[in-house]
Amino acid sequence: MSDRWFVRLARDIRINRHVYIMLLPIVIYYVVFHYGPMYGLQIAFKDYSPARGFLGSSWAGFKHFEEFFGSMFFLRILGNTLLLSLYSLLFFFPAGIILALLLNELRSERLRRAVQTISYMPHFVSLVVIVGILFDFLARDGLINQLIASLGIEPIPFMRAAEWFRTIYVGSDIWQNVGWSSIIYLAAISNVNPSLYEAARMDGAGRLKQIWYVTLPGIMPTVTIMLILFIGKFMTVGFEKIILMYNPVIYETADVIQTYVYRKGILEANFSYSAAVGLFNAAISFLLLVLANTVAKRLGETKLW
Amino acid sequence: MKNRHWKHVSAIAAAAVMVAAISGCSSNGEGNSPGVQSTPSAGTDGGSAVAEYPSSFSYWVELDGDSAASLTNFSEVAAYKKLEEITGTKVEFKHPGGDGAQVKEQFNLMIASRNLTDVIQTNWLAVPKGPQNAIEEGTIIRLNELIDEHAPNFKKFLDENPDIANMIMTDKGDIYAFPFIRKADQLKVYYGPIVRQDWLDKLGLDKPATIADWEATLTAFRDQDPNGNGQKDEVPFLLETGAVRNESLNQLIGAWGILAKFYQKDGKVQYGELQPEYEQFMATLSDWYAKGLIDKDFPAVDGKLKDAKVTGDTLGAFYGFASGSIGKYLDLVKDHPTFALSALSHPALQAGGVSAAGQLSPTYPGEHAVVITSEAKNPEKIVKWLDLGYGEEGHMLFNFGIEGESYAMKDGKPEYTEVITQNPDGLAFKQAQARYMRTHFGGPFLQDLDSFLQQMKYPQQLEAVDVWAQAENQIQLPPITLTAEESAKVASIMNDVNTYSDEMIIKFIMGVEPMSNFADYVDTLKQFGVEEAIGVYQAALDRYNNR
Repeated sequence: MSDRWFVRLARDIRINRHVYIMLLPIVIYYVVFHYGPMYGLQIAFKDYSPARGFLGSSWAGFKHFEEFFGSMFFLRILGNTLLLSLYSLLFFFPAGIILALLLNELRSERLRRAVQTISYMPHFVSLVVIVGILFDFLARDGLINQLIASLGIEPIPFMRAAEWFRTIYVGSDIWQNVGWSSIIYLAAISNVNPSLYEAARMDGAGRLKQIWYVTLPGIMPTVTIMLILFIGKFMTVGFEKIILMYNPVIYETADVIQTYVYRKGILEANFSYSAAVGLFNAAISFLLLVLANTVAKRLGETKLW
Repeated sequence: MKNRHWKHVSAIAAAAVMVAAISGCSSNGEGNSPGVQSTPSAGTDGGSAVAEYPSSFSYWVELDGDSAASLTNFSEVAAYKKLEEITGTKVEFKHPGGDGAQVKEQFNLMIASRNLTDVIQTNWLAVPKGPQNAIEEGTIIRLNELIDEHAPNFKKFLDENPDIANMIMTDKGDIYAFPFIRKADQLKVYYGPIVRQDWLDKLGLDKPATIADWEATLTAFRDQDPNGNGQKDEVPFLLETGAVRNESLNQLIGAWGILAKFYQKDGKVQYGELQPEYEQFMATLSDWYAKGLIDKDFPAVDGKLKDAKVTGDTLGAFYGFASGSIGKYLDLVKDHPTFALSALSHPALQAGGVSAAGQLSPTYPGEHAVVITSEAKNPEKIVKWLDLGYGEEGHMLFNFGIEGESYAMKDGKPEYTEVITQNPDGLAFKQAQARYMRTHFGGPFLQDLDSFLQQMKYPQQLEAVDVWAQAENQIQLPPITLTAEESAKVASIMNDVNTYSDEMIIKFIMGVEPMSNFADYVDTLKQFGVEEAIGVYQAALDRYNNR
C-alpha cells in the first residue's frame, strides 16, 4: 500500500515537476522555521539554561505547567485572549464580508475602485504608526475627546480605561484591515456564475434577495475556509499591537497569553515557563481548529481536511 | 477537478495553520551548545608571559540617548579612537537597537542564542539569575587571577579600596566585572524633587518641606493660576510610580520611612508594600489624585510628555535629574520671562524631620559593568586593555576626552572647553560629551568628581545635589548577589508581584480600587510568596555582611 503510494507520488512528481518545484521553497520554509524549532519545545518540560543547551538542561516534568495553571493571572489572561478573539470573530470577521457585498453592489466602477483602494490602504501602514495615531486621537486632549467635550460630555481617558481597551482594539483593527480582508471575498464573488443572477432576476428576486440567495451561497465555501483559518488563529491575537497599546492600568483587559509570555520569557528570561505557556496556547489553538473543521464537516461540504 | 484542487490547497493550508499554531511558542535557540564550559584560567598556562593588547575584540553595549543624538557607533567616540591609537586594538562595538525593555530583550536573546560578544557591558547585578550563575554556567569568566596578573591599575585600586572590592564580588569571592565606580559621595546623588521657583515666588510661597506643606503648595498651584494664562490648566505634581517602586530613585516614598520594595531596618530585610506606612502613603496619594493635585495622565506619562509639560509651562512640581532635568529644561526654555527651577529637599512627614531615603546611587551601582565572556579568545589581553580605563591616561580619556579638544588644563586641573559647554553644533552638554568620552553615561572606569561637577552649568544644579543629599539613606540594601536558585525563585515570585502591584498601585491612587481593599492587596502579595522572597534577600544580606 505504501509502496504503491510512493510509486504514484513519484509518477506525479515526474508529471507535475514544475508545480512541485514551486512548492519546494514553501515546504523548506515551514520545515526550517516552523517544524525545526519544535525541537526546542522540550524546554517546556525542562529547567532550561542557555549555557547547558536543550539536551543538557535537566528535566522538570510538568512543573512549569503547574505553576502557570496555579498562577493568579492564568484565568485572566486566558479569558482576555478568548474574549478579544471572540469580539474579533463577531465584529471583525463579518466586516470584510459585508464590505465585499456592498462593494459588489456599487454600479459605478470608478467609485468602487476608489473605495476599495482607500479602504485597504491602512493595511500597509505600520502598526507602530497606527497605534501612534490611536494615542493622538484618543488622548485626553485629542480629537475624539474634543468632539465629546463639545457635546458637553466629560472627556474619557480611552487609552487608560480598561473597559475601553477591547472596543478600541477591535475597532481599530476593523478600520485598518477591513478592506484587505474583503479582497478574497470580492474574488469569490466574481467567480459566481452570472447566469445564476439572471435566473434569479427572472424569478423576480430583488437585489437583497439576490445577495441572500445567490451571492452568499456562492461565497460560502470561501467564508467557511476563512472562518476555519480564523479559528485556527483564535489564540494568536495581535500581540505586537497590544504591547504597543497597553500599560499596567489596563492589564485587566489587555494582558493576553502572548504578552504574558513575552514579559516572562523574553524580558525576564524564564524561557522554560514561557515555552510551557506557549505550548498550552498552541494546544488550545490546535484543538479549536480540529473542532471548527469537524463542525464545518458536519454542516456542509467545505472543510480543511 | 475543482474539488481536487481545493483538497490540495486545503491540505497545505491545514498544515500551515497547524504548524503556525504549534510553533508560535517554541523559542529559538541553538541546540548544539556544548555543556558547561570550563573557564579558561590565565594562571595555569603561560602565566609568565606578559600579555599584549588584543588585535581586536567585540564589545556589546547600549547606545545611550545622548550618544545616539550624534553617533551611530562608539567607534566614533574620540576616547575610543585614541585608545585604538595607543593599543592598536580594533574594538568592534555592537549596539542593541532601541532602549529600555528592548535592550533587555536583546540582551536576553543574545545570552539565550549563545552568540556572545567578547565583552558585554550592562547591569550585571540585574541580569536574570545573577552574575554568580553566569560564571558557573560558563557564560562569563571569573576575573580574579587575570586581574592579579594583567590589570595593575585596577588591582591597585582594589587593594586600596577593600570595601569596594567587596562590593564587586559575588558571595563566593569571584570578581566578574570591570565596574563603573562612583567613589565620592557627591557623585551618588543626582535625582530629587524639583519645583517651579517662579511659581512659588509669584504666589509668595516658601519651599515646601513636609508632606502637609506639599499639599498646600500643590493646592495653590491648582487654584491660583501661577502661569498666569487665566486658565486652570496647571498640573500641580507629576507622580511617576515607576520611580516610586525603583529602589535607587525612591520618589516620595522615603517620607514615610520605608521603600516600596525591599529595604533593611537594623539588618532585617523588609518589604515596603506590606507595611502600614505604605497604606498611609497610598491613602495620601489617592487623596491628592482625587483633589486634582496629581497629573490625571500620570500612568501614561513618558519622558517626552514630561518634557512637554515642563516646557509648556503647565507643570509645577516633579522629580528629575540635576543635569538631565534642571540643566536640560533651563537650556530649553529660553523665551519664558520668569522660568526658574529649583530643587526641593526630599519631603518628610514631620516638620523638622528628614526623609528616610532619597535617591542614592551605590558606590558600585551594577550598571555599566563590563564582563568578559567565555567566547573571548584572549581574555588576558582584553583584561589588559580594559585596565587602561583605571589608569591615569584612560581615566582622563573616559572622563574628559581629548586634551586640547574637549578639555584644557587650567591651573593643573582639567576643564571642559567650549566644544562641550557651548557646543558649536548646538548639541546639549551631555550630547557633546558623548562624542568625546563616556562619563556622561558610565562605563568601566572611575567617575571623576571634577568632570561631574563641571556638568553642572547652572548654580541651581549644584544646589540641587546638596539639597537632595539631605536624606538619611540608611535603609537601602547594599549590592547583594543571589545564587542561581535564589534568583530563579525570587524572579518567579517577583514577576507576578510586579505585574500585580504596578497595576494595583495605580488603581489605588486613581480611586478605581478603594483604600478599604488594601488589606486584600497585602494578602495577595503574601499569597504570591513575597515573604519567601524576603527570606531570600535576608540570607543574601547576611552573606554580604559576612564577606
